[in-house]
Amino acid sequence: MSAPRAARLGVPLALAGLVLVAGVLIPGFMSRANLTTILLHVSINGIIALGGTFVIITAGIDLSVGSLVGLAGVLAAATLTSGEVLRLVGPGGAAVLAGLVGIGAGAAVGLLNGSVVARLGVAPFIVTLATMTAARGAARLVTGGVPIGFPDPGDPLYGPKVAALDALHTVGGGRLPMPGLPGGFPVPALVMLALVGAGAFVLVRTRFGRHVYAVGGNEEASRLSGVAVGRVKLGTYAISGACAGLAAVLLVGQLRSGGPDAGMLYELNAIAAAVIGGTSLFGGVGTAWGALTGALLIGVLNNALDLLGVQSFWQEIAKGVIILLAVLFDVWMKRADARRRARAARI
Amino acid sequence: MTRPAVPAVPASPASPLLTLSAVTKRFPGVVALDAVDLAVRAGRVHALVGENGAGKSTLLKIIAGAERPDAGTLSLDGSPVTFAAPREALSAGITVMYQELSLVPQLGADANIFLGMEPGRRGLLDRRDAAARSREALRSLGAEFDATTPAADLSVAEQQLVELARALERDARLIALDEPTAALSNVETGRLFEQIRRLCARGIAVIFVSHRLEEVRRIADEITVLRDGRRVFTGAAAEIDDAGLIRQMVGRDVEYARLASARPAPGEPLLEVRALGRQGRFSAVSLTLRRGEVVGLAGLVGAGRTEVARCLAGADPFDTGTMTLAGAPYRPSSPREGIARGVVYLPEDRKTQGLVLGMNVRENVTLATLRSFSRRGVVRLRAEREAAARQTQAVELRPPDIDREAGTLSGGNQQKVVLAKWLLADADVLIFDEPTRGVDVAAKSELHHLIRELADGGKAVLVISSELPEVLALADRIVVMREGRLAGEIAASGATAEGVLALALPESHAA
Repeated sequence: MSAPRAARLGVPLALAGLVLVAGVLIPGFMSRANLTTILLHVSINGIIALGGTFVIITAGIDLSVGSLVGLAGVLAAATLTSGEVLRLVGPGGAAVLAGLVGIGAGAAVGLLNGSVVARLGVAPFIVTLATMTAARGAARLVTGGVPIGFPDPGDPLYGPKVAALDALHTVGGGRLPMPGLPGGFPVPALVMLALVGAGAFVLVRTRFGRHVYAVGGNEEASRLSGVAVGRVKLGTYAISGACAGLAAVLLVGQLRSGGPDAGMLYELNAIAAAVIGGTSLFGGVGTAWGALTGALLIGVLNNALDLLGVQSFWQEIAKGVIILLAVLFDVWMKRADARRRARAARI
Repeated sequence: MTRPAVPAVPASPASPLLTLSAVTKRFPGVVALDAVDLAVRAGRVHALVGENGAGKSTLLKIIAGAERPDAGTLSLDGSPVTFAAPREALSAGITVMYQELSLVPQLGADANIFLGMEPGRRGLLDRRDAAARSREALRSLGAEFDATTPAADLSVAEQQLVELARALERDARLIALDEPTAALSNVETGRLFEQIRRLCARGIAVIFVSHRLEEVRRIADEITVLRDGRRVFTGAAAEIDDAGLIRQMVGRDVEYARLASARPAPGEPLLEVRALGRQGRFSAVSLTLRRGEVVGLAGLVGAGRTEVARCLAGADPFDTGTMTLAGAPYRPSSPREGIARGVVYLPEDRKTQGLVLGMNVRENVTLATLRSFSRRGVVRLRAEREAAARQTQAVELRPPDIDREAGTLSGGNQQKVVLAKWLLADADVLIFDEPTRGVDVAAKSELHHLIRELADGGKAVLVISSELPEVLALADRIVVMREGRLAGEIAASGATAEGVLALALPESHAA
């Protein structure tokens, strides 16, 4: 939004710098295959971070998305491999239905989060901490603790179940043929890019998007201006939940399985991506592109350290340092901003 | 504006404990204190009186080390001092007791008394010693409650005793009390005064700030009157009566040209308020806003004016009473509903309630009316830009830059942006809460004309202002509130600042 220019350009510049350095130092990093791999690895986190960005711009937080990936995933997988469903709509129909169930489950929990936050005025941290815990429990309850996925060879519905898993795999793990790219372009990455574009449009060009920034920038002024603050918040949590649901569906497709423990700690990765991308936890500031650049920065860093053979423990430490730097940058920009305002107002 | 001659501080046998000379403090757009002198003597009560915004709070903050003066000096016992932080004023023996008492509600009275002083005791708090000393200090102040009672369970008067005990434990030499009797009963006020006299007998200097003039003259040895940031009177309390004090408080040096209505008579009643009440805030408020008329709502800070205004706009619920808008029942449950019915509220604090500071002028101006610039939820940017540009020109925003961030504008320009937002909404009833606070003189006059034009164009306008000359210049009719109730209504023609202030000042408690 109207964040200072340095804040808007800082992260993309850091990303470009990182890519450049990695490209020079690490053989194979700049290969098309590797770059598409990064995009694929980033897409789940990017989609969740995009939804989270909506919430964080309103000065809220959504901790439930990681557990939602688990819950929506097992529900989608259960739908996909259900004998009833397969009999009624066939493998292709089951894949479509599983997608709807996953996204719908995510959106429903998001609506629940949103209504408790907006109507009852409970702190978002607490509300989504509660749904995070409950959703994980529900996912384990549904599955009995074991993943739902590839059928036993002796299963009477072995054929249809595999066909349904394969159908969803064309989305979650599929690649679109592309000239110059031997493996093709990963579908989840395409979904992520399309969603980020749509998210950017909603935030920048629609009334809802404007209200999201207004509520995060000054909730009381927004309320006094007639903005339906509760409905706006509700909408952002629903979007965040739906994004988590979609991410779960893609993950199930990719792995051909839905596990109750999937998505563990994804909420923190998503928040990290949003914050690194310049979204302020104080509210009022953030962009869809920021969620993408934040997720990419984390992805590129992981990939580069992987290629260098750095232990994954070090990767976590590196990620922590980058999150800290991003937040410090945010705080520092805020201060500079306050000083600038005070100066300008005095004139 | 002419500067009236100020009589010199009368000579006193005791030499001053604390002296302020030519202390000046500026905030963006206003001079809060303009070369103020003050001498406070040990063992004496010095009262500070003045209208809202006269500079009393700023003065207290400077004494307390919470604000630093832009010019002038403070001296303690004749030698100059500077307080960089409240801590430094405290250790110099100066305690300021604000209206909002600063106790930790969950902690006991004894823990509150020693709050911030614990580490001095060899790093370990001797709780038994602290409790004993607290009991002793509280008993010496006539407190009857247990020293371990959590502050939250104490009455305001008892909490004040805890703060006084804390001041005594810090070996305070000067205690400033900001409106200490505002929330006290007659008996409690009497007891507080007893304690104040006892403090004086121990040689402590007391600064007493109050709107209750009779109380001021009862307790004070000397009185200083502030007006618009300047000291206009200092004298012995015995030498001046209430009427004289009011005359000094009001003064005559800020007058605005009276903006008379362009209409021969006000139009039909638009918003009729009958016996409106909100638990603990205000009660039995009735008033009528007519087309073409500016009604001024005067009163002291805390009289309930803002609370009434917020109910009218739907920002807060009310408990009793009824309202009708253009003859139809009106009970807005949210500002959204109020706006839809054509009633809008311009809040007193633009930064926290009026604007989204991080958004630009255009986004702020269209925030309330975005629906009319969007098609199927998508904002039509060109239409939005045109409307924002048109309205910012209408309110004479300078520079008329709609892409500038609202947070970077001056107070006057920020108020114009808020006004532009509501002009765009084309409301029928506009409620202005302190529309020119923190606004420079030129912008003030422009805002006055804009408000007058709105009424002349057939809108119903309510203006809350603590600045009496502003109310007198703008309003066709003045409604005065006092302690949550209507105190009276005056036609603006023939109204005087003294008359309005006399209605607004709370009656003193009988001794």
